[in-house]
Amino acid sequence: MNLPLTSLRNGESGVITSTDFSSEHGGMCGHRGRRGHWRKRFRVARFGKRLCDLGLTPGTKVTVVKSAPFNGPLEVSVRGSRLAIGRGMASRILVDVER
Amino acid sequence: MSEKHFRIALAGNANVGKSVIFNQLTGLHQHIGNWPGKTVEKAEGTLHFKGYTVDIIDLPGIYSLSTFSIEEVVSRDYIATEKPDLVINVVDASLLERNMFFTLQLLELETPLLIAINQVDMAKKKGIVIDYEKAEKLLGVPVVPTVAVSGKGIYSMLETAIEVIEQKRKISPLKPRYGKEIEERIEDLVILLSKVQLRYPARWAAIKLLEEDREVEKKVLEVSPEIVATAERFRDELVQLHGHSCPTVVSCERYQVANSISDEIQQITEPLKAPLRERLHRVTTHRIFGFPIMLASVLAVFIGIFSFGDFTSALLGDLLFGLKPAFDSVLGTGIIGELVWGGVMEGIIGGITVALPYILPFYFILYLFEDSGYLSRVAFLMDNIMHKMGLHGKAFIPVMLSLGCNVPGCLGCRIMETSRERLLTAFVVTLVPCAATSVIILGLVGAHVGIEWALALYIINLAIIFVLGRIAFKALPGEPTELIMEMSDYRIPHMSTVAKQTWFRLREFIVMAFPLIIAGSFVIKLVEVANLLEPIIDVFSPVTVAWLGLPAVTGIALIFGVLRKELTLIMLATLFGTANFAQVMTPVQMIVFTLVAMLYIPCVATIGALVKEFGWKKALLITVFEIVFALFVGGIAFRLLTI
Repeated sequence: MNLPLTSLRNGESGVITSTDFSSEHGGMCGHRGRRGHWRKRFRVARFGKRLCDLGLTPGTKVTVVKSAPFNGPLEVSVRGSRLAIGRGMASRILVDVER
Repeated sequence: MSEKHFRIALAGNANVGKSVIFNQLTGLHQHIGNWPGKTVEKAEGTLHFKGYTVDIIDLPGIYSLSTFSIEEVVSRDYIATEKPDLVINVVDASLLERNMFFTLQLLELETPLLIAINQVDMAKKKGIVIDYEKAEKLLGVPVVPTVAVSGKGIYSMLETAIEVIEQKRKISPLKPRYGKEIEERIEDLVILLSKVQLRYPARWAAIKLLEEDREVEKKVLEVSPEIVATAERFRDELVQLHGHSCPTVVSCERYQVANSISDEIQQITEPLKAPLRERLHRVTTHRIFGFPIMLASVLAVFIGIFSFGDFTSALLGDLLFGLKPAFDSVLGTGIIGELVWGGVMEGIIGGITVALPYILPFYFILYLFEDSGYLSRVAFLMDNIMHKMGLHGKAFIPVMLSLGCNVPGCLGCRIMETSRERLLTAFVVTLVPCAATSVIILGLVGAHVGIEWALALYIINLAIIFVLGRIAFKALPGEPTELIMEMSDYRIPHMSTVAKQTWFRLREFIVMAFPLIIAGSFVIKLVEVANLLEPIIDVFSPVTVAWLGLPAVTGIALIFGVLRKELTLIMLATLFGTANFAQVMTPVQMIVFTLVAMLYIPCVATIGALVKEFGWKKALLITVFEIVFALFVGGIAFRLLTI
């Protein structure tokens, strides 16, 4: 099952299938529309890159440890490190879960 | 030449103990400033070792050499263009895989490299055993195990560093290889790039072009637009092949290399029982216990600092004001004497009685919290609430600082990743009531109108922060960012590192704020001596009397408040000739006055901090906005309360 990271239960793990923030905004590499659009795509892609740099690349196993109270960020465990990820961003990370 | 001079840069992820190593190496011979034109801290130090003079540069803690943050750009530009004699890559022994991801990028930059695997004692406790010889063989560069906090391995790290620089040791650094599809395209780009002049190594530039790196793309575009076009075509092809964006594919494969290296050099046997730091983490981020613990620790810190501060401040004040007779006997009580004492000395005394008793312990505890790892937990808990004012969890730290003093709050905005976030946070920070503002709120409204009104003012202030923060968030161009942060393991803070950080911060505060406070107090004294106070009262009276409904003399008090906000209260008492404000002001006047004083302007030191971090224009904009806004709110409040 392909689910956003936010819908995992505490303690549940999944394998990342996509972190491509750019795809949502129509167009990947080389696809440049209006200038504003380009800027937006760039900024959003930048955070996709950040996730990759921290080890959240496609194919990686990620475990949701818990979420902060009042719909706060997620605490995830990936490649042996512990990260806090804002909810909006976490909802755009898709993972494959076996249930 | 009798002495040889070298430059060594320290690079690595955040929280790997890099600054502790820096402190071990340089001791007190360090200088902390900013990178030219950037609000990124630059720590430099000097070290003498076996007849060598070595300059050490501590690069910011980063996870990658891309363009995500200013820190990353600063670091890679330094390594690529300033070409230090050696880069020491400090690596966390417990997190080899992610750290290797960064190491691989340093290898790609083709810089002379030495790897210090740090905190090996902690890793051992976690059941991680590392084969250093194998690591050295795989990576092709020297690998030294260290325990920075106890200084273990530092000496041999330095010895090895000198050997590498003096080329007494043969090294053949690993060239990280990617999958066939990417590697072919890198090679094609390298052929093209080697024909043009570029500051960067060709292979590195080729990889960066595939990673959609805008900075490198800009540089290559200047010399050859065709190469950029080719890279773009290659990226499209790779997207077709892999189904992910190109930077993702490159990172992914780089992580595969990092993973295979870390797998080969380490053996992990999980410990059976969760260690104390793990349990501590669970409790402090717990959905029920987390908040009470945070609230209790923040309150304890504030109460502690204020009781210590009040006592020390009074003591220092008495001591320094005791100097007045001596001054008077030398300079006399004429105009010169008054200018020197009332203008210069009182400014200095004011600065000292604030900086030492409050700011010093404040910074110390802050760094203690940060070094232990607790601040990142606080950011985790506060993220959602900070979102309501258009910020994210990390911004809580400068906001919390501002409750003590707005100056460290403004400087603390550096922890935010993007310049947009920094400016937004700074704006919010200047609206937070600092300790001096609290003195006015409690001393005027709290003491003479009622504590419930003081509380109401705090709530109004909080509401204003949320509303204005929200509006600024919508108004400022750019995409919002979200929290992505590592919560590294809890650890016992390294005291001498914390002490040094405190000292450098305190010095920064003194250097920045003192001249402004002294100059300001001199100017105001000059105005007073020249008998210009009365005319100024008249000039301001349309605003103070007609619009705000306040006594005319409050204009003067508000001018003094620009220096330090609590001076408004002190001036008010002097001007009225009594500290029993209930006799001379109505409750409504006191509330309106406090409301204006609370919001009307960041004090002169805060304006200085804003100028330093954001430039004149933005500092002026924030200041003017807040004056207009405070007067507007004050006028409205006056009319509402007198209906």
